[in-house]
Amino acid sequence: MTLTTAFLTTAAVLVVLAIAVLYRAVKGPTMQDRVIAVNVLGTNTVVILALLAVALDSESFLDIALVYALLNFLMAVAISKFTVKRGDVI
Amino acid sequence: MADHTHDPPPGGALLVPVGESVTLRQTVAYTMEIAAAEEISEVHFVSPVAWHDVGDVELAVRERTQSLLDRVSVWAEEDAPADAPTIHTAVIGAEEYLFSPDDYADILARYADERGIKRIIVDPEYSPGGNVPLLRPMEVALAVRGFDVIEAPASRPVRRSRLTRPGGIAQFGLLFGISFLFYQLLGGFVIVTGDSFDFFYELITGTITAGLVAGALYTVTLSNRIRLRTLGKQLLRLGLYVPYLVYEIIKSNILITTIILHPKLPIEPRMTRVRSAVWGGPALTTLGNSITLTPGTLTVRTEGQDLYVHSLFQSARDGVADGALERAVRFVFYGRRAAAIPTPRERGDYVELQGPNAESEPDAGAEADVESEPDAETEPVEEEPK
Amino acid sequence: MNEIRLGAIFVLLAGGVFFTFVSAVGVIRLPDVYTRAHTASQTDTLGAGLVVAAVVLAYGVETEVIKALLLLVFIFITNPTAAHAVGRAAYEEGIEPWTKGDERR
Repeated sequence: MTLTTAFLTTAAVLVVLAIAVLYRAVKGPTMQDRVIAVNVLGTNTVVILALLAVALDSESFLDIALVYALLNFLMAVAISKFTVKRGDVI
Repeated sequence: MADHTHDPPPGGALLVPVGESVTLRQTVAYTMEIAAAEEISEVHFVSPVAWHDVGDVELAVRERTQSLLDRVSVWAEEDAPADAPTIHTAVIGAEEYLFSPDDYADILARYADERGIKRIIVDPEYSPGGNVPLLRPMEVALAVRGFDVIEAPASRPVRRSRLTRPGGIAQFGLLFGISFLFYQLLGGFVIVTGDSFDFFYELITGTITAGLVAGALYTVTLSNRIRLRTLGKQLLRLGLYVPYLVYEIIKSNILITTIILHPKLPIEPRMTRVRSAVWGGPALTTLGNSITLTPGTLTVRTEGQDLYVHSLFQSARDGVADGALERAVRFVFYGRRAAAIPTPRERGDYVELQGPNAESEPDAGAEADVESEPDAETEPVEEEPK
Repeated sequence: MNEIRLGAIFVLLAGGVFFTFVSAVGVIRLPDVYTRAHTASQTDTLGAGLVVAAVVLAYGVETEVIKALLLLVFIFITNPTAAHAVGRAAYEEGIEPWTKGDERR
């Protein structure tokens, strides 16, 4: 097995796992569950992008992965920050 | 709260935390207005101070605080009504290390309780301990402790973001350097490998970009004073800490893997609370993140030095109670001397909030209302209007 | 030398896939938000870290390796922080942690 096939196979398996995690994103039941699921999915996406950068020999994928990692983090923090119903103070 | 509570003064009393802020003058005026309207008999202006070094009290800060208080009491007397209330000023918190809004709220609450004060007037522009979005602002922390918190209706002379804090040349320089390096990194370091055109192109665009970033954000990020020697030492010790952390992560990941893949799913999740013996935002962040990274434990919430840790099984809880990570973080931030402090369990700073060993909360404060909501889970969060 | 590197890459990839698999199982199988946040922050981070480490090894000494390393650092810093933010949000919502004997949700 060459290196390229190994990386592509890994990416394919990760895609399948990401789809499996989608179950939790759909089912919930709470908002936080969905955010967790989408965050895991996003991390998988970042890893897949990094794998594709090697397998397809296109470095720009790494830049995209970097930006995606930061966006993914921002997404999780922003949603948790702005969906919480505060108590009686503020 | 405090068992030595005095009787409240007959005419009522007001507590006003003061610090350097653009709307301080208006806050003082508003306070005296209230005092006149309601015939308040005592007004306390207190200035919480944060020394940046534990035990190393800085004279300059002390003098600055005292002159601020002097200014405040002069203003207050100018605005004072005919039957003037007694004006007290005080510096508080000098013996403690304050870093988060919760800490400030704590010492203010103690001061107020000792004097039977129930009402606090806050300056809208004064946010001690910073206004870090992940921390609770001081006003909220005070309100949770049962005080009547009033925000002075001060109009801001210049609309200024509450995130910003004074930043100096060191902050600007460091942020500029980091931004410039990051820019070159995304450009694949053509500045080093390319020809002379590339060098000047990358140099000019990089300088402009990093300058924009640093100019816009140097008052927001890196808000603490930067001391390069300490920073260097800390980075060096961080280099020792990371391999240890990675080892811990891998070790406990294998444990958690067996538990997740176990057909019976043998988990005993429980919420615990640890009062950690680390001080300062970066150290506490490092500890919280390290606890979260080590499988089996998850930092759910921080309140001052209290970490609320959710743990998945007993051995993970024991790890937190024995404080190996805490000791390592102290080592990174304060050096080897600080590492040898008793473990959280020995200090009595470790409390289980759920399960058979659960202890009832001695100070039923903020966490009580959160824990006793039975059906909060069914709330449809998505439908909140925004 | 090259064989060793190749072998290390395969091992890292396999480990990464395994831990990502465990985290997926955890997110689907565990009973409540907090326990799921555990796997999201930890097992998933290790899985992603191992795979990106394989990517780093595959690049060897090119400049891209710095980007991959940076990606590794980002993942290790942002993942637990995100999990903490989610856990905190859940706690402030008032969601009670699941304890043994409760119903799954």
